[in-house]
Amino acid sequence: MKRNTALRLAGIATAGIVLATTAGCSAGGGDDGGAVTLNYWLWDDAQLPAYQQCADDFAKANPDITVKISQYGWGEYWTNLATQIAAGSAPDVWVDQPSYYPQFVADKQIEDLQPYIDEDPDAVDFDAYVPGIADIYQIDGARYGLPKDWDTIGLVINKQAATDAGIDEATLQNLTWNPDDGGTFEEVIAKLTVDKAGKHGDEPGFDKNNVAVYGFLPEWADGSQGQNLWGNLAQSNGFTYSDKNPFGTSFNYDDPKLVDTIEWIAGLADKGYAPRFDQQSTLSRLEVLQGGSAAMTSIGSFNQLMFKDTADQWIWAALPEGPEGRKSAINGLSDAMYAGGKHKDQAWEWIKYLASPECQSVVGATGVVFPANAEASDASVAARAELGLDASVFLSYAQETDGTFLIPINYHGTEMAQIVQDAIQSVALGTNDAQTALSDANAKVNALFE
Amino acid sequence: MTQLELQRPSRRLLPAARTAGARMPRPRGDGRVALFFIAPVLVGFAIFYLYPTVRGLWWSFTDYSLLAEPEFVGLDNYAQVLGDAEFWNAMWVTLCYVVLNVGSQTVIALLLAALMHRLTRSVVLRTTLLLPWLVPNVTVGLVWLWLLDTNLGFVNRTIDAMGLDKIGFFTNPAFAIPTISGINTWAFVGYTALLFYAGMLQIPQDTYEAASIDGAGELRTFFRITLPLLRPILALVLVVSLIGSFQIFDTVAVTTKGGPVNASRVIYYYIYQQAFTYFHMGYAATMAILLVLILGVLTFIQLRLLRASESQLA
Amino acid sequence: MTVSATLPAVQLDEPAPAPRVRRRAGRGFSIGRTLGWIVLVVALVGTLFPFYWMIKSALTPAADIVADAGRLWPTNPTIVNFARVLGLLSAEETRAAGGSGASINFALYLWNSIVYSALIGFFQTLFCAMGGYAFARLRFWGREGHFGILIAALMVPGIFTLLPNFVLVRDLDLLNTVWGMVAPSLLMTPFALFFLRQFFLNIPKDVEEAAQIDGAGKIRIFWRVVLPMAQGPLITIGLITVVWAWKDYLWPLLIGRDESVRTVTVALGVYLQQSPNTQPDWTGLMAASTLSVVPVALLLIFLGRRIVESLNFTGIK
Repeated sequence: MKRNTALRLAGIATAGIVLATTAGCSAGGGDDGGAVTLNYWLWDDAQLPAYQQCADDFAKANPDITVKISQYGWGEYWTNLATQIAAGSAPDVWVDQPSYYPQFVADKQIEDLQPYIDEDPDAVDFDAYVPGIADIYQIDGARYGLPKDWDTIGLVINKQAATDAGIDEATLQNLTWNPDDGGTFEEVIAKLTVDKAGKHGDEPGFDKNNVAVYGFLPEWADGSQGQNLWGNLAQSNGFTYSDKNPFGTSFNYDDPKLVDTIEWIAGLADKGYAPRFDQQSTLSRLEVLQGGSAAMTSIGSFNQLMFKDTADQWIWAALPEGPEGRKSAINGLSDAMYAGGKHKDQAWEWIKYLASPECQSVVGATGVVFPANAEASDASVAARAELGLDASVFLSYAQETDGTFLIPINYHGTEMAQIVQDAIQSVALGTNDAQTALSDANAKVNALFE
Repeated sequence: MTQLELQRPSRRLLPAARTAGARMPRPRGDGRVALFFIAPVLVGFAIFYLYPTVRGLWWSFTDYSLLAEPEFVGLDNYAQVLGDAEFWNAMWVTLCYVVLNVGSQTVIALLLAALMHRLTRSVVLRTTLLLPWLVPNVTVGLVWLWLLDTNLGFVNRTIDAMGLDKIGFFTNPAFAIPTISGINTWAFVGYTALLFYAGMLQIPQDTYEAASIDGAGELRTFFRITLPLLRPILALVLVVSLIGSFQIFDTVAVTTKGGPVNASRVIYYYIYQQAFTYFHMGYAATMAILLVLILGVLTFIQLRLLRASESQLA
Repeated sequence: MTVSATLPAVQLDEPAPAPRVRRRAGRGFSIGRTLGWIVLVVALVGTLFPFYWMIKSALTPAADIVADAGRLWPTNPTIVNFARVLGLLSAEETRAAGGSGASINFALYLWNSIVYSALIGFFQTLFCAMGGYAFARLRFWGREGHFGILIAALMVPGIFTLLPNFVLVRDLDLLNTVWGMVAPSLLMTPFALFFLRQFFLNIPKDVEEAAQIDGAGKIRIFWRVVLPMAQGPLITIGLITVVWAWKDYLWPLLIGRDESVRTVTVALGVYLQQSPNTQPDWTGLMAASTLSVVPVALLLIFLGRRIVESLNFTGIK
């Protein structure tokens, strides 16, 4: 019995060591005799199929390089990236956003692509892009990403709900807003809200504690940019994020213009037009909208395709016009290269391909986003039109003076996002008043830059 | 720490066959052999406990971003941590969690153990109650995240069907920590109950028989006899539960990620964020050290309070 | 490495024979007993219901998740979710069944978890047994002092050593490897060392002494005589270590992100993050969760009695 046990133990030990050695060997990007696997991260699962197509096409043209795409949801994307950078094993290429990339520059974790472009002058045709997109990622002659796509924000309204509330399309296309009485925007929201007894939000006897359909769904998980809602409204109210953009170092989050905006949005829940913050579920706003429990919300152009199966049930409108005009944030994503990557030349090939008309037209044809390449962008608009989705509202801002503004680009993006989001969410929760919360947050944010 | 001395079984008499003249060889120092035996343990300790402790201590005096060399900053980190409202919030949140968790867990475990001791000795019951303890905390968090979901979760659907307001278990700041604490109580109560049960088995049956002859009811027996005799084990369980409870991370990481706002941002999560999201490793190390000190003090206080009551079994 | 809320659990003697509960003459039913039983049944149901719900949701097709949210059994039970998370379906099929199209392979992650737990369970128990024996039985310079220092580490919460250990493993270039993951726990934990020493302190010396008289060396005594005697506690500590390693999350999250070494716990967290942007992929998550429960449930079924009966103290002074 003892002998058997000892033998058994020895056997297990040997097996264990063998296992560990073989398992250990298989980690890391396979690199056997020229074949390279690149890791590519993105956050939008809706775009995954389009970029998988690009990856497959790329693999055909470059048989030695395989691109492995990983998708992490927006809420975790930047923290995961940070952890992997700390671990020294970040993906070779990742999808980058203006507000977050300066931190990588400061930490020296992102590769300057300008030398690669200089060596390969025909690689990128900057004229083919929508104007202004490529400049976002340039700092002092260095270029930290090639343009990928652009987006703006609009409104989506349930057509049936609008008809039932007696709201005509013209009103919806010309909404006005101000933080004091909410303008026609609040009127429409009130009308769209219906309580369980069938009363609309603007009718007497409306029971704000028993709402069946909410008039509006605000987005509260919006970092320090408020790209999905509050940033746009605040800007149309005259708010500017910082002393300069890009690379501001002194911020204005305690500006009354922003405070009033946040208070107005939070006030919607108090009036019963929007759901209470502490009763959210795991369903996204767009799911709740499609489920019929709400009638309107703000939406990025990158989400429009979600509605393709029920395209005729929705009205698309531009954001309301505030005291300083109608404004939408314009964002341009890029593909970034990891400075600590082990296969930089291959990564450059992949980035080049992603920015090329070939890949961008594949993406544009699906209509899932507006690629940076101007032709592909038009193709995307056309693809959406064919599905019954009117994308013109997202393009309308370009026609107005200062109709678009760049989302803030600065260092300490991740930390700032947490600070400002916490403050704004505490207002939504009701645990803090807007002025105090934002003043504290602003102090903390400015302290980061000392 | 309470010494666990185990009962010595009676020594067997040496076989009479031992010849009169033979004596035990004089024990030599076992130095070389001992080295062989303790080498792995010593190496493991030195590399993965001692060295990190020293290093962590060093980092707490530096500004270290993980991506560059540490820069000495003296006591700046300590000053900053002590003035950081988020740090104190994290400690407060964790304290609330610990009190709720250890409190509810101990009470329910005692109840279950008493019932298993007096009512039924079923092994199947004990085995089943152990299942949540064996399951990863991440799984526990996910399952409860789903069960308690505001819209789709079974619990809220039942609440809604009863006509009451739905509860945002994870999204309502007043509920976030109690919910997480409840989840972990659910996960650990079976294991804790088994430990108490094992301790109760040590109480001699005669004590109970004497009590029942004297006419004492179950409740009285429990409070007057079982509980006092269980004190040393209770003390040990409480101390270890406290230390373990302070280290809650997995459930928070999976369910609330510190939210809503910072209502469930427990100290481990905050340290993790500072170290791996914001790259303030020195700051994180400082907080870890302060945590060690606070835990040490709490443990000391606890042992002091509980040592006042020695076991009355002897 | 986190110190979980585990407890000393050392079996020495046979557990005390279950005392017969003497019934009072003439007392069959009593309110107290009924209440007691009710509590136990509630506890049992409360323990098992979440697992039942998990399995039920795993068997629900993704499209029915809202409709079936309140039902106790899915209208159209299906195993496609399990096929999805085990990596058996193609990307389109996965997306059609409600997933996000990302590639997941829980079969691999289960295997990684098993390797991780088994390695740590086996080697840590072995080395701590050796160390425990040495501290209990062998004589050498500074024995008590060394032991005291090693045990002081019990007081240190895991996060304090975790941060520098992470940097150490990173600098040694052992990230995303099995060795890097198991390294801190492979050789010892103060907890295992303490209790194995406790056990060795209390076993009768006679057998060892007899063997010594026969001329056996210390090492031989250990392997041939002491270890077999210690099977009970060794297996207990081994099981506890395996369970602890199976549950480990933070350390594998930091060190083992790459798919080839990802454990089930990390994979669950990643999977949650990869849900379609609209809502978490509940059916897939529940299927994956079920997979993480199956191995420990099996452990419980086959070794449950042993685990439960070995959680024992034979006396506290």
